[in-house]
Amino acid sequence: MTYPVKISLVEPSLIIRSGLLAVLHQLSTFQMDVFEITDIEQMKYVLSRQKPDILIINPSVLNFYPLQQIRKDAANPNLKCVALQNSLSDNALQKVCDEVISIYDSAEQIRDKLTRLISEADTANPPELLTNREKEIIVCVIKGMTNNKIADTLHLSAHTVVSHRRNIASKLQIHSVAGLTIYAIVNKLVELNELKQ
Amino acid sequence: MNRLRIGKFRATDRMCDLIDDNYHALLVLSRFNIALGFGDRTIGEICSENRVDAATFLAVINLMYNDNRPPTQEKPQLSIECLIEYLYNSHHFFLKFRLPEMRRKLKESLNDGDSDLNNAMIGYFDNFVSALKKHTFTENKKIFPYVRALLNGEAPSKMLITLQKQHEQIQFSLTEFKSVLIKYYPAVKANEINSFLFDIFNCEKDLASHNAVEEYLFQPEIDALEAKIRKTV
Repeated sequence: MTYPVKISLVEPSLIIRSGLLAVLHQLSTFQMDVFEITDIEQMKYVLSRQKPDILIINPSVLNFYPLQQIRKDAANPNLKCVALQNSLSDNALQKVCDEVISIYDSAEQIRDKLTRLISEADTANPPELLTNREKEIIVCVIKGMTNNKIADTLHLSAHTVVSHRRNIASKLQIHSVAGLTIYAIVNKLVELNELKQ
Repeated sequence: MNRLRIGKFRATDRMCDLIDDNYHALLVLSRFNIALGFGDRTIGEICSENRVDAATFLAVINLMYNDNRPPTQEKPQLSIECLIEYLYNSHHFFLKFRLPEMRRKLKESLNDGDSDLNNAMIGYFDNFVSALKKHTFTENKKIFPYVRALLNGEAPSKMLITLQKQHEQIQFSLTEFKSVLIKYYPAVKANEINSFLFDIFNCEKDLASHNAVEEYLFQPEIDALEAKIRKTV
């Protein structure tokens, strides 16, 4: 992943939360943004905004709130759930989680567990280069053409154009026309006199 | 910093310790129109000298120190008038000071020649500025007067105020510009471009803090005020 991995950490204890946070920040293997959450009510409210890749949760706060529902709340069916084990707790729940981190784990163990989860998520969406069709569409977009116009010009359906544009945005992480213009000029997708027409 | 401090800042803490701890607090001071030169006086003392509501000042400071996460505990009574003053000054800072200065620095750091690419860069930045201008204009001219009217007991309108969506777009646009610059712009003037990038990073942080004040402190106050007036009507 080229962007920081988003991790939401649900743990009511300030001391344990800060401790895990300190360990996570020492792991320089990958970049991450960590959000702290103290209880399940707060979690229900914020997950849809945080959109985490990984959820590390103390199972005791769940109180029979199902993981499936959490994945729904986060609008991410592939959300990796990691149980944070600080005492003997229900084995059954830990089986449904993707991973278990114990408070007695070493930094290396934690790193290896997280790396495994992240590379799993990564193979699900490998980074891709732009296709020629997508390049054509970028050129149309920065010339100011509407989706319908682009569809006409390239003999595609408007629906296909929309889905190409979505793919372009997710591959380049550029959503605005102004940003695409810069990308296109730098990568010589357009002749400049073309743009001025 | 010669004292151990843990948790939130309080009115009895010294103002100079606050700045020592995080220099971004300087921006908060200027937006509350508090001048430097406060010796060893406490936050509470300085606030009352400057006729700033200390609870509101501390709420803004602690929100920033808590990485802009919404306050979890019961919120103290805030002064809405004081918050409006703060937000207004903050808008002024971005539009009249920070962004014009950044635009100048951006121009200086672009490669010589290459005018089409440079125009596209400046164009992107100007787009961002005009989006921010539009947003602050709505707040200064519509939302703040509306809230002041509420304070005077006027009936709430049906206007629904949600600040969050616009904020996300504005922040996103700045972040995208930063990433386009880093990933795709073949910069030659390293020192100038770095200096500009540092400004963007700072500006992002600033905007996030400004937006958090609006969303987590200002918006709940508006909602509460509207609800209170509706009840009495």
